[in-house]
Amino acid sequence: MIAPLLQVRGLTVDYATPQGATRAVDGVSFDLDAGEVMGLAGESGSGKSTLAFAIARLHRPPAHVTGGSVTLAGTDVLALGPKDLRQWRWREVSVVLQSAMNALNPVLRVSDQFRDMFRAHGITNKAEVAERSAGLLGLVGISPDRLRDYPHQFSGGMRQRLVIALALALKPKLVIMDEPTTALDVVVQREVLEQVADLRRRLGFSVLFITHDLALMSQFCDRVGVMLQGRLVELTTPAAIATGEGKGGANHPYTRRLWDSIPPLHSSEPVRAQPDLVMP
Amino acid sequence: MTAPVLETEKLSMVFANGNKALDGVDLTLQPGRALALVGESGSGKSTCAKLLTHMLRPTSGRILFQGRDVTGLSGRRELLEYRRIVQMVFQDPFAALNPAHTVAYHLARPLALHRPDLDRAGRDAEVRALLTQVELDAGSLLHRFPHELSGGQRQRVSLARALAVNPAVIIADEPTSMLDVSIRLSVLDTLQRLKAERGIALLYITHDIATARYVAEETAVLFRGRVVESGPTAAVIDGPRHPYTRLLLSAVPDAGRPFDAGGSLISRADAVRRLSEGPGDLVYVGPGHKARTVDERVAA
Repeated sequence: MIAPLLQVRGLTVDYATPQGATRAVDGVSFDLDAGEVMGLAGESGSGKSTLAFAIARLHRPPAHVTGGSVTLAGTDVLALGPKDLRQWRWREVSVVLQSAMNALNPVLRVSDQFRDMFRAHGITNKAEVAERSAGLLGLVGISPDRLRDYPHQFSGGMRQRLVIALALALKPKLVIMDEPTTALDVVVQREVLEQVADLRRRLGFSVLFITHDLALMSQFCDRVGVMLQGRLVELTTPAAIATGEGKGGANHPYTRRLWDSIPPLHSSEPVRAQPDLVMP
Repeated sequence: MTAPVLETEKLSMVFANGNKALDGVDLTLQPGRALALVGESGSGKSTCAKLLTHMLRPTSGRILFQGRDVTGLSGRRELLEYRRIVQMVFQDPFAALNPAHTVAYHLARPLALHRPDLDRAGRDAEVRALLTQVELDAGSLLHRFPHELSGGQRQRVSLARALAVNPAVIIADEPTSMLDVSIRLSVLDTLQRLKAERGIALLYITHDIATARYVAEETAVLFRGRVVESGPTAAVIDGPRHPYTRLLLSAVPDAGRPFDAGGSLISRADAVRRLSEGPGDLVYVGPGHKARTVDERVAA
């Protein structure tokens, strides 16, 4: 049996506040296989983004990892020194954030942003950078002549595709996507995610996909984890959630509530709104 | 059929750069009823809201309020009165409230301006009543600041602020798209109840056609500035006639149905967009249900 690509064990992240430590991620453990897409669902404040940031070592004070381990392809991620970390990040794990509008530098041409990224990882040959940049744009369905353009000349969906192309540049094993399509409308959201699904099939990377949209997650992911108050309360397949069969025969009540709050598109009788989902 | 509160006739907006944001749009808002205006980014939804609230002037077409032409409305007093009657609720609950002021201030201020009949005690009572109407607990929230509220609570405060001046029309531009999916329905439920109870005409602007059913009796689908389909919401959602409406519906996250099962949308989306841009007229396809004709040859 091959070891999973990513092993997270008992990961705990605290935020230091004047009132003492607040636990944002509380002893989370899971495995992610090579080529697998795993979703992390949860409401605002459930700790899902903090968890993802800690896995990529992007967390900054006041957030501190206070326990547990993260192992990616045999590397003890939490033990990486600053220099190793810079090379590890993007080569092994890349991150796509929610606001593609802010992830690109507005005063640099797209080509320059690709160049900077390649240069930071020791790829400086001009011809090679140009060729690989053009190839990456082609990968996400954008014409390579648009490398000369500035970010504001692209639509929101195209900008998010540019960010995805940047994230795939060094062929990472894991791509963490934190609400990658939340700012996009539904058609563009679907187009972008279908493209990610297709690229994953061709290139074989794994995805940790974070969203508050459980319906979307159930369409895109192989497995789904549900976070509540810093804990991973459910880890199952989309099919098991849809049919209401969790590991122990039933889903966690919180998973059910999240699922039941999804507005069904077609129904003769609209479901009544669920009460606000506040912490129990 | 009651008389419409707000109507547009052939409303068009061409920006200085030649961008045609809105092209001959006819909409009708009825008291106590909601119209969902659905479309993707760049379809002209928000331009429409800006025209209806007099933040922009249309390049052609008319806006009628209770049958009276208000397109060219000018003069401070008239504009102020119009802007009281037509209120907006914005998308971003973080930007719409002043971070330096409490919930109570946000509601007391419009009351002080528009309800001079109320004394201090009357105003305080009205602030509490408004919070209760939007299902917030006045006792605990009155003296909180926006950053101490959740996104859903902030959006409810924005709604209470709009209600404070007793409007006839509320334009809600993506009021729930920045909220967690799990609390969207309860906020929409409040909107739906209030518009019915207070006889408000609601224009609900969204890119998510799935939510239209919860709020709106009527739905109009906008694409590149033109209405491509309109009618009773159930007819539009359950029996869409225009290919663009079908595209929107197929893009709605469908719980538990993997992407592959639905076939690839990317391959079709651009063809449908080209098709929808072509010429065509709005024709009746059912009771109150209109769709724009398309020329199938364009897609080929």
